[in-house]
Amino acid sequence: MASLFSKQRREIWSRRIKSFWQEYRNNKIGLVGLLIVFIYAFVAIFAPWLTPYDPLNPEAVAQGFAMPEWVTIIPEYRYLPRTLDMPLDWTIKDKSEFINATTGSNGFTVSYNGTGTQSINLTTTFLYPFDPPKKFRLGFTWTISNMTDAEYSAELYMSNPAGNTFIFYASYQNLPTAPFSTVPKHNLGTTLYSTSLPLYMYERLGVDKGTNVAQMIFLEQGEYKVQFHIRFRSTAETGAMEMQITNSKLMIFGLVHGLLGTDSIGRDIVSQLVYGTRISLAVGLFAAVISTSLGIFIGIVAGYFGGLVDETLMRIVDILLCLPVLPLLLGLMVIYGTSVWYLVILIAIFGWQGLSRIIRSRVLSLKEMPFVECARAAGGSKFYIMLKHMVPNVLPVALASMILSVPAAILTEAAISFIGLGDPSAPTWGRMLHYANSRGGFFALAWWWIIPPGLAITILTLCFVFIGHAVDEIVNPRLRRRR
Amino acid sequence: MIKRAVIALGTIYIIATLQFVIFQVVSPVDPTATYIMSDPRRTDEMRESLLRTFGLLDPLHIRYLKYIRNMFTWQFGISFKSMQPVAEEMSWRLVNTVLLLGSVLVCTIMVGVPLGVLAASRRGGRMDVAVIGSGIFAWGVPTFFIQLLFVLFFSYYAYVILGFPLFPYGKMHSVPPPNNPFAFIVDVGWHLLAPLITLVIAGFGSWALYTRNIMLDALTQDYIVTARAKGLTERAVLYRHAFRSSLPPIVTMVTLAIPGIVTGAMITESIFTWPGIGYWYIQSLFQGDYPVVQAVVFIYAVLMVVANILADILYGILDPRIRVGVRR
Repeated sequence: MASLFSKQRREIWSRRIKSFWQEYRNNKIGLVGLLIVFIYAFVAIFAPWLTPYDPLNPEAVAQGFAMPEWVTIIPEYRYLPRTLDMPLDWTIKDKSEFINATTGSNGFTVSYNGTGTQSINLTTTFLYPFDPPKKFRLGFTWTISNMTDAEYSAELYMSNPAGNTFIFYASYQNLPTAPFSTVPKHNLGTTLYSTSLPLYMYERLGVDKGTNVAQMIFLEQGEYKVQFHIRFRSTAETGAMEMQITNSKLMIFGLVHGLLGTDSIGRDIVSQLVYGTRISLAVGLFAAVISTSLGIFIGIVAGYFGGLVDETLMRIVDILLCLPVLPLLLGLMVIYGTSVWYLVILIAIFGWQGLSRIIRSRVLSLKEMPFVECARAAGGSKFYIMLKHMVPNVLPVALASMILSVPAAILTEAAISFIGLGDPSAPTWGRMLHYANSRGGFFALAWWWIIPPGLAITILTLCFVFIGHAVDEIVNPRLRRRR
Repeated sequence: MIKRAVIALGTIYIIATLQFVIFQVVSPVDPTATYIMSDPRRTDEMRESLLRTFGLLDPLHIRYLKYIRNMFTWQFGISFKSMQPVAEEMSWRLVNTVLLLGSVLVCTIMVGVPLGVLAASRRGGRMDVAVIGSGIFAWGVPTFFIQLLFVLFFSYYAYVILGFPLFPYGKMHSVPPPNNPFAFIVDVGWHLLAPLITLVIAGFGSWALYTRNIMLDALTQDYIVTARAKGLTERAVLYRHAFRSSLPPIVTMVTLAIPGIVTGAMITESIFTWPGIGYWYIQSLFQGDYPVVQAVVFIYAVLMVVANILADILYGILDPRIRVGVRR
């Protein structure tokens, strides 16, 4: 076995690879294919550094169906809202006595210690330079502590440059006036979406349910103000409490986002595309390697042993070639689960038959060659001859076949994912197209959702076809005649 | 001939058995589970009665025998979903599939083969490069992507820009279908166009490339030199000598390609919701309608075996040098 990797052998192989590369270099299309595949591999490896978003995170980064940001160069789209996701920096205004307030980087703390009704206003202003958005979200967390004989009420207002003020949150919910609450709330997180406000908020705003509140408030470009109005009251002679409001954040969902916009639920498309490269490359390469190895193994065994072994193996090949592969794959995915690795193995199992036939016929002729006879006469075992004389001689053919089976595997995976039977935990291009098709990407005319994944598949498979043909021409000199 | 028929029947039998093993024996899923779960109105009692009605409580060997009988008598059992015989459900869908795929096959060959001949006759020319390019294109581009683009631009964008879709999207006729039989045929034809055109675009390249390569092989033969030496026109050499001798492999390829086209059109049918076998298969898979699933896979397998035999026979007829059983 050591002789397999001897210095002499290494030299032969390095010379072979060098001469192969010399020939390959002359094929321009093959080189382009190789270059692009390298770019894909780079993207696949460095995916986490290329995109800040996790493709499986369902959290929206912008409005659903947000267009790519570069469409804003068109004058008509110039002021489409970008996503504004910012923490609110509160400043203290109109503080009554008995109230102590401090603002920090994370929020503010208000403590009340005294008597009677006291109030405080906290405000923050920000600039909104775009057209009206469709949705915004306001979130904050509050903690109430040390509550003794005190109650509170809190309201949140937003006012726009036109001077209209809208109430957006009230701690007393749907009660008609502003009663004070004694319920101590601990670590209560509140997230308000402008599109799904509670019914009483619509009543308070004086609009019908379903009115787009975001559009109503952010009517024009200019300076907007958010205001927290908090009131305290003591229930006994004196009362005390402490209120802490942290993590106040306002997110206005943009109608344009990033390089390729967002999908129907507002997820970044670039990150899905980038991570999809991993799956496609992995599926293509692993399926090709496994199926080629199987093809080589079975072809050599059938060809070299001959007789009953050959007959049985070739009969199995015949039967497998009569199986309707795609329908069967779909059926197997439904019954036995949809993991990507499982799919790789299935594609490999259904993909080696053609190659094994070719290898077998090669081996049949190789077997009669003098050098094999010499090896046998010198006492080489069957295993030794197969490994040392058969495998190296069929490897070039197998290589061409392997590269050409990569695009087939990628297309099969894409088709299965497109139908909707792919791995739900794997962000693949086929799955992106599936969602684009089933979640209204067409109705929204979301070309930025439909074209990129399809184009990514097309370019990758075409590149492998180019490389495969280039290699095929080198290992099958007969083909060159045809060009 | 008899030997071949026996092998074919054996192959079909083995595939049917394999399928029984996959779908009914080792399957970790109760065949009725998906069916019951896919609709909240279906209860456990329904499942019991389903199991009893469909004989799924029988011992395995009885089920196997029944299954084999069902398959080979072309009955396929009863669909879980519609409670109708699968054979009946299948027949009209088969007509739709044959309508779509028959026209696809004819059109693809009508476009692809002449292009291949043309490319071979002007080897190295612009046409030749275009044919090689289209062949590689056919190999590498996912058909469903071409179809999605087609739908996006010619149905949705056309609807936005023109006010009506150039090609309708979905189903094989308008809703409601026109009453006038002539109008109905035109309507179906209109709905047929989109899947037809996209499948031809996706498929003609491989035919052109294949024909070109076969033709180039034929054009290097000695009898072509002889024909040219005789002073025949280039046209006669091309069509009467080279093309005629290239016909057997092309015809064989056509028969061998049929199963691939049929199974490949599954995705096409589900994109355009064309009510054919493939769309039915995918729907049944999602609904856990296993009798249908088994029947369709079986039909596909039979089609493949038959196409293989047909290819051999046709090749023998077209090329008398190769005939099974005749030793020269």
